[in-house]
Order: sequence, then structure tokens, then C-alpha cells
Amino acid sequence: MIPLITGILGVITAATILVLIRRDHLHARYGLWWVGAAIAFALLGVFPWIFDGLAEYLGVAYAPVLALMLAIILLVLKILVMDLERSRNQVKINRLVQRIGLLESDLRTLQNEHGKEPGSYGKDEMED
Amino acid sequence: MNSILSPRDGLRVPRTVVIIPAHEEARDIGRVIREIHHVSNFPVVVVDDASPDDTIRVAHEAGAHIIPLSVQLGAWGAIQAGLRYALSRDFEYAITMDADGQHEAAALPALMQPILEGQADITIGCCTRRGSRLRKVAWKLMKGVSGLTPEDLTSGFRVYDRRAIEALASRQATLLEYQDVGVLFMLQKRGLTIRDVEVNMPPRSSGISRIFHSWTSVGFYMAYTLLLSLTKRQRRAQL
Repeated sequence: MIPLITGILGVITAATILVLIRRDHLHARYGLWWVGAAIAFALLGVFPWIFDGLAEYLGVAYAPVLALMLAIILLVLKILVMDLERSRNQVKINRLVQRIGLLESDLRTLQNEHGKEPGSYGKDEMED
Repeated sequence: MNSILSPRDGLRVPRTVVIIPAHEEARDIGRVIREIHHVSNFPVVVVDDASPDDTIRVAHEAGAHIIPLSVQLGAWGAIQAGLRYALSRDFEYAITMDADGQHEAAALPALMQPILEGQADITIGCCTRRGSRLRKVAWKLMKGVSGLTPEDLTSGFRVYDRRAIEALASRQATLLEYQDVGVLFMLQKRGLTIRDVEVNMPPRSSGISRIFHSWTSVGFYMAYTLLLSLTKRQRRAQL
């Protein structure tokens, strides 16, 4: 009974991930990681005894602990990678904002030199 | 006007720009800009850090060149924008000053002197008398951990030379949170000479320090600085 439930849950999770990728809600590049996750969910959902075998092979007394541990390790790595990427993005954003400011000031200088009336400065609301 | 900043006796004053990062400084910035114009011919660039108030208009009327940031980047982000401007316009020196009146234009000749005399690449205006006990403790701690020698680590009153401008305008310098320890480490690593110049700093007219206004803020600042110091510290022999 249990394998049936977990199997269905696993396959549904996998299918959801694939649909998100198909509809472009999930960027294909991250899709690779999540497809791997989807496959893992599906496999372990349908064949939960895989972990039992793995646990025994590695000498882990209680198989679910192995599953949780692996999941946590993978998540931590994933978050680390995300923070690295977020840092890269923040650099891009900051330099873009600076560059726009520099361009805007050049533009106003040029407009003033040509006797044109410069527009008003605008603000952008950005949520973190 | 006979000061080190006025051309006299054939001495050339190098092309210098004053950069003032400003967020909500409409009250004081006009006065600060006028004082700079009183003491020197240096162009003043105000980098407006997405101020909701009248900062841009006031600064513009006082005769400053404006670089408007559409999104708030913080003091360092704004300063870096100013440094990128300085780089693109081939300025030889860039002076950073606060918009709130803590940095006096009258001190500019004293700040420039060691540089013009070739004794330093960068000068920092120091006022070690100022600050609460908390700030003083923080200083001592930061100095001890980082191994940096400048007396007033948190002072934003600085003169940067061309090489410093290039280094600090770079991508690598973009993600520094504050302009203190991170910036100083980077400059030190490039072998630039930094000198302290004792200046007077009147109390901030608005009365609220950006960093030291709350325990959380100070806590984060100390933790950040500590981490940076530990990862980037250089052996004393190399300093």
C-alpha cells in the first residue's frame, strides 16, 4: 500500500517539475537539477526499498536517516550555489544602476547644451 | 585666494573631482557644495542614491553635477558610481566627502598636501576624537583584527589617486558593503600608500550615524568587517 502512495506522489512531483519547465516557469538551466530531483522522487516513490538496500550497504542502521542526510547535503549545496549566483547578479544590478545614472547625467548635459528641456528624474521601485 | 588649491607660482593643481554620495540630504547638501566651491575650483559630483526628497534639485541649484541612481545602492554603490565617472573623465584625483556637513571643505588643502608633495597615493581625513564609546571600541577591534593602520578606518573623507580610482571602480570592488575595511584592503594589496591627515569633524547635523544607530546595524557591521579582515588580512611584513 505504502509503495503505491509514495509511488504516485513521486510521479506527480516529477510530472509537475516537467510541466513547469515546459511552460517556461522554470528556467531550463535550473531544470536540469530539478529533473534529476524529479527522477529521484519518482524512482524512490515507486521503489522505496532502494534506500533500504543503500543504507545496509553503507552501514546506516536506519534507512530514512540516509535519505534525509542526502537530501540535506544536496539542499545545502544548492543554496550555496544560489547565493553565489545571487552575488553575481547583485554585481550586475549595481553596475547597471550606476551605468544608467552615468548615462542619464550625460544625456542631461547634452540636452542642456542643445537647449532642450530635460525630463524629470524617475525612481524605480524594486523589491528585494 | 592663496591656498594650495589655487594655481600659483606655476604649480599645477591636478584635475580633481569631489564626489558626494547623497541619500535624503536636501537640508545640508547645498551648503556643503557651496563651501567646496569657495575653497577650490574642483567640480562637484553629487551621486543621488534614489533620494525621495529634494536632494537633486538643491544640489543642482548649488552647482553640482548630478548622477541620479534610480535604485538605492547604499553609500558605497553611490561612491563607486562617482568613481566610475571620475575614471571615464580622466580625473587624476577623486575626493570623497559626506553630504551632511561632517567633512569640512576647509580641510581640503590639508588633505591634498601630502599627495601633491608626493608623500602618499591616498589620504584619509581622520578625527579620532569623534564618536561614541561604541565607535571607539569598534575601531580598536577592527584595527586589531584587520591589521590595517589607518587611524580612522570608517572615515569617508578621502583623496584617491588615479590607481585607486581604477581599482575601486572595478567589478571586484562592486560588492563591498561599506567603504571602510574592504576598500582599504584592496588598496593596500595594490601597494598604494595611505596616509592619515588629522582634520576637524563637527558633529553630524542630523545626529544619526548610518552604521552605529542600532545594535543590529553595528552587529552586522562588526561581523561583516571581522569576516573580511580574517579572510583578507596580510602579514605585517607586507604592509
